[in-house]
Amino acid sequence: MSIKEHGLLYWVVVGVLALLVASPFLSRVLVYPRTEFFTELWILDANHRAEKYSFNIVRNQNYTVYLGVGNHLGYCAYYMVQVKFRNQTQPAPTSFGPIESRLPSSLPSLFNMTVFVADEQVLEIPITFSFNYTWDEQFSKVELLGLRLNGVWLNISDCKLSWDADKQVFRGFLFFELWLYNADTNSFKYHGRFVGLWFNMTLSV
Amino acid sequence: MFCIVCFGLVVLFGGWDLRFRFCFILLFVLVFPFVGLSTPCFGANGEDALSVISDVEGRIVVCYRAVAEADRAGANVSSLLRVLNEACWLLSRAKLAYSQGDFGTAVAYANECRSMLDGFVDEADGLRRDAEAAAHWDFMVNFVGSAVGAICIVAGGYALWVFLKRREEITERV
Repeated sequence: MSIKEHGLLYWVVVGVLALLVASPFLSRVLVYPRTEFFTELWILDANHRAEKYSFNIVRNQNYTVYLGVGNHLGYCAYYMVQVKFRNQTQPAPTSFGPIESRLPSSLPSLFNMTVFVADEQVLEIPITFSFNYTWDEQFSKVELLGLRLNGVWLNISDCKLSWDADKQVFRGFLFFELWLYNADTNSFKYHGRFVGLWFNMTLSV
Repeated sequence: MFCIVCFGLVVLFGGWDLRFRFCFILLFVLVFPFVGLSTPCFGANGEDALSVISDVEGRIVVCYRAVAEADRAGANVSSLLRVLNEACWLLSRAKLAYSQGDFGTAVAYANECRSMLDGFVDEADGLRRDAEAAAHWDFMVNFVGSAVGAICIVAGGYALWVFLKRREEITERV
């Protein structure tokens, strides 16, 4: 058997062997670098689906939603979720334009939850809440007395809901703004994202 | 506290039964340490509460930096993050209590949070060091070793090829 006659086969075998041994090296070198760094924020219903969100809120009854934060920033992130509540006339966070230049609602935060999420990880926070409110039929308004969120009573007594003639409901918006810790300034900066749910508060039974 | 002491003086120097005196002393010994310990917490003012909360906030940032470095080094930090998230929940409760003027509760939550973070940075640093050692080993084997191994195979293949070719030429000449 001549080596010259089987030269092609010989070099193919050597090449395949070399590629096999080099595969761990190549898998690191030939990986396309990450170019998009972002955070996901979502809210799911009690069944972990985006289907049956609570809308008609009965006074003092518990409702559960799941707030999810997915970190794709390339580092372990330190987030703050600000819980806020507003009626139709109070200021909302901006929803349009580049995400970096969006602004949070100017309303004060009712409660701040700070969470840490490792890179490429997801954190889901179960949120159980209930509202205590009174419905003043004579003046056609709903006066909110308190919001109980994960066992903590929050004061929202300065918020009143007026009648929405178009939708035929008293609408209130519970929303969660996402803020991100900036190590350089040692402070939290609005991360341009929020999620929330509109509620109708006329069922006091 | 004052009432307990007054009652105790009455019991001890009054005409009370010896057994009753003994019970009171026992009760005093058992209750006093708890009353003594909890007094600073319930007697906290706004400045104390703010100071404790700020201190805990600073600690959380230090812990976060240690975890972030461990995460960057490739360590599995999920258990550390669980502890940190629980501590943060307590800190949030402390801040809420502070904003509502309930300084005693705020200090209690902040202290609980602080105790959760004891030894946290050391643990994170330990994980980071382990991860760095593992990453170094992984780099040497899978990156350097793999590249050098592939080069050796090609070079060895070439050397063997030259050797076999020469041997074949010598055999042909003979």
